[in-house]
Amino acid sequence: MPAKFDLNDSSVVVIIGSGAGGATVANELSKKGISVVVLEAGRRMEIGEFQNDEIAMFGAFSWLDPRTATGSWYVAKTSPDLPSWTCKLVGGTTVHWGGVALRFQEHEFKTRTRYGAIAGANLADWPLDLKEMEPYYDRAESRLGVTGTHGIPRLPESNHCKVLFAGAKKVGYSKYWTANLAINSVPRDGRAGCQQAGFCVQGCTFGAKWSALYTEIPQAEATGKCEVRPESQVLRIEHDAAGKVTGVVYVDRAGATQRQKARIVCVAGNSIESPRLLLNSSSSLFPNGLANSSGQVGRNYMRHTTALVFADFGKPVHMYRGTSNGGIVMDEAGLDTKRGFAGGYNLETLPQGLPSFSTNLAPGAWGRERASWIDSYANLAGVWIIGEDLPRAGNRVTLHPDRKDKFGVPIPNVHVDDHENDLAMQKHGMERADAIYKSIGATRTIHRLPFPSTHNMGTNRMSANPRDGVVNAHGQSHDVKNLFVSDGSQFVSSGAENPTLTIVALALRQSEYIAGQMKSGAV
Amino acid sequence: MRRMLLRELVTKFSRRGFLRAGVATTAAIAVGGPNLLSHAEETGLSAAESRTLLKLTRDLFPHDRLDDSFYAKAIAPLQDEASKDAATRKLLADGVAQLDAATKESAGKPYAEVADEKIRVAAIHKIEATAFFSKVYNGAMTPLYNQPDLWAKFGYEGPSSAKGGYLHRGLADIDWLPR
Repeated sequence: MPAKFDLNDSSVVVIIGSGAGGATVANELSKKGISVVVLEAGRRMEIGEFQNDEIAMFGAFSWLDPRTATGSWYVAKTSPDLPSWTCKLVGGTTVHWGGVALRFQEHEFKTRTRYGAIAGANLADWPLDLKEMEPYYDRAESRLGVTGTHGIPRLPESNHCKVLFAGAKKVGYSKYWTANLAINSVPRDGRAGCQQAGFCVQGCTFGAKWSALYTEIPQAEATGKCEVRPESQVLRIEHDAAGKVTGVVYVDRAGATQRQKARIVCVAGNSIESPRLLLNSSSSLFPNGLANSSGQVGRNYMRHTTALVFADFGKPVHMYRGTSNGGIVMDEAGLDTKRGFAGGYNLETLPQGLPSFSTNLAPGAWGRERASWIDSYANLAGVWIIGEDLPRAGNRVTLHPDRKDKFGVPIPNVHVDDHENDLAMQKHGMERADAIYKSIGATRTIHRLPFPSTHNMGTNRMSANPRDGVVNAHGQSHDVKNLFVSDGSQFVSSGAENPTLTIVALALRQSEYIAGQMKSGAV
Repeated sequence: MRRMLLRELVTKFSRRGFLRAGVATTAAIAVGGPNLLSHAEETGLSAAESRTLLKLTRDLFPHDRLDDSFYAKAIAPLQDEASKDAATRKLLADGVAQLDAATKESAGKPYAEVADEKIRVAAIHKIEATAFFSKVYNGAMTPLYNQPDLWAKFGYEGPSSAKGGYLHRGLADIDWLPR
């Protein structure tokens, strides 16, 4: 049963955020007998509350707290008050994710070495490599039940997949299949098999998709060592005169300000909230923000290089039937600078229901041409380009100079200027997607530039040298030994892969390290 | 500047028991009918203004397969807001007047009475940069397309979990792909 800890219990590990990173660390530590308090800003929902309703679910669990976006990126123009599309509930963005679970490639851990110095980019190597990560990837794939690994069969091909694969074959690609998905193709680990309902992004109504909400979190609670406190928004992290963190200040469900003491604090609020919290925890000892002697907190913000391409076939596809990110083409994922850019990209099916498609198509456009795409809705296929986005020092999360949230904390601003590498990759991807679809008879295609990103990475990056990043190879702050970062903000590069599997693998690795450090008394 | 549509709606309506576009009001039902007067008339938009708003919404999102009832529901939230908020009422009424002025100049008639779509479209281009345009564009789009009664007309089947998903129901029924 769930534990209950006293606010003054300074033996607990406090984990801020209950998504892929936070929930995995919570589960691992509590299974090792370590006392854990998870503070989650959002509420706790049950699977039964999920509906096949894009608009209602967007409202029910998106992170909609005020934010701003600046810079040359498209999102700042079309969505200046919602730079990212992540979730605010127990389980975090694992409720919303599409389930694509891919390992990073070897070169993606060593971008500075492999790509060289790229002007305008702040490339660095990860202080770890694929070989070190492989055992953790292996465990993560088994834990999440990833299809195409551990003998787990892949999911069947939908119409939408078949269209993509037929085109991929026609243009000479060979690496296409239903993706490695953390969605059960057969019942496994107490979770049902996928019924191909679609609406993965609105919360899986069958629980077939791995989400921390109904795996890691209840498993952690079942140990009797973990307490989850939903609707608890952390405002700042506190420390003592020696520079060790001592606890966190948060506002609870009733609106009361509380102070939870802690032996260790793990920050796992995703790549906008995590740096925001560190920056807001500045003090006389840490004037530039907690754990920020490097000045890198908030910097190197990465989403993915993306665009969506829809094609009209004049004949039925019904793209909304089946697993959302069901199909993948991986031929362009590798490193081949002859294409005119560093890094690579994947192509993944990305259907939208009619309400989402029709309201997100061509921002600002109106009239007959735009409407004709909605008229063709049943005949459309759509593919999403997801490619490596280079880190830039100026692409960063900062505290807004004027605006504050309802708790008086400055809201985050996300600034992004597109790097020419990203734009070159995006253009290449759109052209390849056009070619794929046109090779099998698409009469027209339309390009949708990026949405608010669900993949957010890099704002508290790892580094071997404390001068270059915020945390070490275990996500431990260089400056504050009992402070950890447990989410995707640790990423040094973004890769061409959906980030969740890597977040979980890092969390497994970090959990072993934390337990070891606690046992030895190092923290 | 266009803002994230969903977000705008989400912040406007309560988070739970959230907006289905069908939350039309008496004002919406009144539009297009012979008796256009409703409670909205007293404090909100006039019948003529509502009629123009409906026509504008159809011109922004023109689907010949949809009858006016869908567009009436699309503008219902705007009508509601106008009946409760004087600034919104003024924004919409002034915008309608601008549109009417544009078509009176080009075709000698108020906007809603102009039969030629090209002339109406030209009038919209004249007001495209206004706050009025953004308000209608952003305010009517989601309520238009989020109507379950509308989906089938575009071949969208809507919620599927209750029907068991598509695993045994047309997941891979495509028959026209090259072999």
